[in-house]
Amino acid sequence: MLRFVVFRLLQSLVALAILSVVVFILARATGDPLHMILPMNASEEDYANARQYLGLDRPYVEQYLSFVGRAVIGDFGNSIRARRPVIELLQARLPYSLKLAAFAMVVSLALAFPLGVMAAVHKGTGVDRAAQIVAILGQSLPTFWVSIVLVEFVAGRLQWLPAGGADSLASYVLPGFTLGWFVVAGMMRLLRSGMLEVLDSEYVKLARLKGVAEHRVVWVHALKNALIPVVTFAGIYFAILVTTAIVVETVFAWPGLGRLAYDGITSRDFPVIQAVVLTTAAIVAAVNLGVDCLYALIDPRIRYGR
Amino acid sequence: MKTTTRIIMLSLLALAAAASPARAQSKSELTVALSSFSAETLDPALQGHNVKYYLSLMFDYLVGVTPDGQPSQAGGLATKWEPSADHKRWTFHLRKGVKFHDGTEMTSEDVKFSLQRATSKRSTTGYAGPLRTLIADIETPAPDRIVIVLKEPTLIIPTYLSRSLSTEGMVLPKKYIEANGDDVFARKPVGTGPYKFVEQAVGSHIKLTAVDNHWRIGVPKYKNVTFRLVSEETTRIALLRRGEVDVADISRERVKELEKEGFPIHMRKEEAIIHAWWILGPEGRTPPTKDKRVREALNLAIDRNEIAQSIFGGYAEPAVIPMGLTWAFKDVGFKVTPDMAYAYDPARAKKLLAEAGLASGFTLDVYAFQLPGFAEGKAFAEAIAGYWEKIGVKSKLIPVDYPAFRKMWVDRKAPGAVGYYNIANRDWIGAYALLEKQGYTPSKLNDTVNDPEIDGMIAQVMRQTDREKINALMRNIFTRLRSEHHGLPVVYVHSPYATSKTLGKYNPGTVMYDLFIDELARR
Repeated sequence: MLRFVVFRLLQSLVALAILSVVVFILARATGDPLHMILPMNASEEDYANARQYLGLDRPYVEQYLSFVGRAVIGDFGNSIRARRPVIELLQARLPYSLKLAAFAMVVSLALAFPLGVMAAVHKGTGVDRAAQIVAILGQSLPTFWVSIVLVEFVAGRLQWLPAGGADSLASYVLPGFTLGWFVVAGMMRLLRSGMLEVLDSEYVKLARLKGVAEHRVVWVHALKNALIPVVTFAGIYFAILVTTAIVVETVFAWPGLGRLAYDGITSRDFPVIQAVVLTTAAIVAAVNLGVDCLYALIDPRIRYGR
Repeated sequence: MKTTTRIIMLSLLALAAAASPARAQSKSELTVALSSFSAETLDPALQGHNVKYYLSLMFDYLVGVTPDGQPSQAGGLATKWEPSADHKRWTFHLRKGVKFHDGTEMTSEDVKFSLQRATSKRSTTGYAGPLRTLIADIETPAPDRIVIVLKEPTLIIPTYLSRSLSTEGMVLPKKYIEANGDDVFARKPVGTGPYKFVEQAVGSHIKLTAVDNHWRIGVPKYKNVTFRLVSEETTRIALLRRGEVDVADISRERVKELEKEGFPIHMRKEEAIIHAWWILGPEGRTPPTKDKRVREALNLAIDRNEIAQSIFGGYAEPAVIPMGLTWAFKDVGFKVTPDMAYAYDPARAKKLLAEAGLASGFTLDVYAFQLPGFAEGKAFAEAIAGYWEKIGVKSKLIPVDYPAFRKMWVDRKAPGAVGYYNIANRDWIGAYALLEKQGYTPSKLNDTVNDPEIDGMIAQVMRQTDREKINALMRNIFTRLRSEHHGLPVVYVHSPYATSKTLGKYNPGTVMYDLFIDELARR
């Protein structure tokens, strides 16, 4: 098992190393950050000064080695735009992204569980179809549109919930719902198919024959066994939600990692882009590693087959 | 299940109660929601113009201005200033008894330090370069007097150090910065302004709190002022409706809707000129736009009134002079006459193209991008490209983001291609500074004009100390820019700001990148 974990860890590190080269090159290929931070009337001398001050006049190889050397100890350099250590920005933003993703995951679980179970139990009926429509709408309606509609009507017109910011628990509801609803479809479908399979299994039939109450058969015996793929899905989606909520964070003025990435990209802030990409990749890699290890624990064929 | 449902319902009710609608701001709080904070820096040396919105509450300028942009001895740290006879030494007399937020007294040493810092290599402010070139020495003969010695005689120094331009004139605490370093200052800035820094959450908000009493505005009306960064307009408007913000920038297309709901709208009239131009090649203008007739034809093909109505919702006026900033016109006595206006005349445009040997048209690249404060950018590019199609010019729209265009522009990699910008309106010195960079061949990087006659006049303005002669030169520059069609002045746009129904009277002023929020705090 240890050999398996070490092997997967090395794989993740290699992936991160390759990614560091890719993001370093691509970030620089998109343009010069000085065009964004210097005033429109800046002279060539102003450009040269700023380039020298920010260390952008050094050869690319030197810049890359400096970036990687510092990144391994958690120092991603200074933001070109905000002129402060990138690690400070990450530390300020990441908790907000984690909290929002966690809230969204709770919302999606709260919706997907009853919908998935009810759809399986009432397969082919109106309940099944209605549950699937609700779930599919969450995935098919553009997140941007859902966000705007919620802000305009629920926050602005009805004034039921805050429109933006991260000041209170209430301010989690609209962005959390928007993100969570998006995840519901996949989760609900997994749960539904898992439940259908389990409900048709011998041990469930036996439980029914033994006279176990139907709600106990469904919610205890069947659900427990249909959960494994859903938990895996939720884990991976949690990592994705942390790192990809740019639209929702922008609409709801949520100070998370997605907005930081967006601002970094639009202002060609290389250190921020590099740090966000590597941090998010590390989060995804860590979650994947965790899931792989869990699988390996559950199914020995995986660790022996590598 | 019934218990679960009950718990869920009660939780939702509690949540709704906690988020109860429309909590109006108490009078001690003022919240401003803006679509952009630019670089969000708190150090005036790290960003120019567009951080003035919030920095001008924390810092005082050496030279103050009124909200309509006039120099004011009551609004800055200098109570008076005068040049030497040769205009190479400017003496500024400082206000006495002004203290920084950390309790230390502001003296001429702070002003000297601030100016040196603003013109250092580290500085990326708007006018660091020109000031670096101009200033020979800074003398501090007394704690309340500072003398700026110049290499060349000039009139422009007070304006360059005033609130009407960028951030170079902001006075910073020498002792605090020297003791704590630049990084600490950039996180916890200390100034002499009516509001002190409390906290910044990058990407979210900047919170300030009032000093007890300030020489500029007295006892501030609001205990706290918070600037919230809210990129999405729908969200800013929802916050306004909920009473969570008092001032918000809005787009022109939402003005009527909010007015109907009773929200006061404050227009910054002609806040910017939407100005397009042809990128120069390494040796200047390239065919076909090297031909003056082609430049005129492209101007005549644009229906400015229609653009003002359809793209800017009627909150715009046709523009006439390339790079013509109207706030500067009144300073220098420049009058726009009816014959200067570009009439929409596609027939004459076609005729001019034919005269230039281009009857069958030509291909023109048009870069399409959005800019802060100019969300209509791409629609604008599509519109002008559409007009040019009508006179036989095959316009190729190239969607990019601004940094990509900027690179093409300054690297001169796409000669003849069209780009544009929303140039903030400003007074005559601001307009001159713009021309000196964007209309002056020696500035190379940003030049869009390449006209020796204009170069000569700009060079004369720089050295001239007779205001009347400067005014005449500026008028001649504007006239020449128009007669040679050195660009595509399209419209002046008005920028709307919505305020809460309870805020009361508000004048956002006519100073570039400054909303005079501190004036709201004046009792």
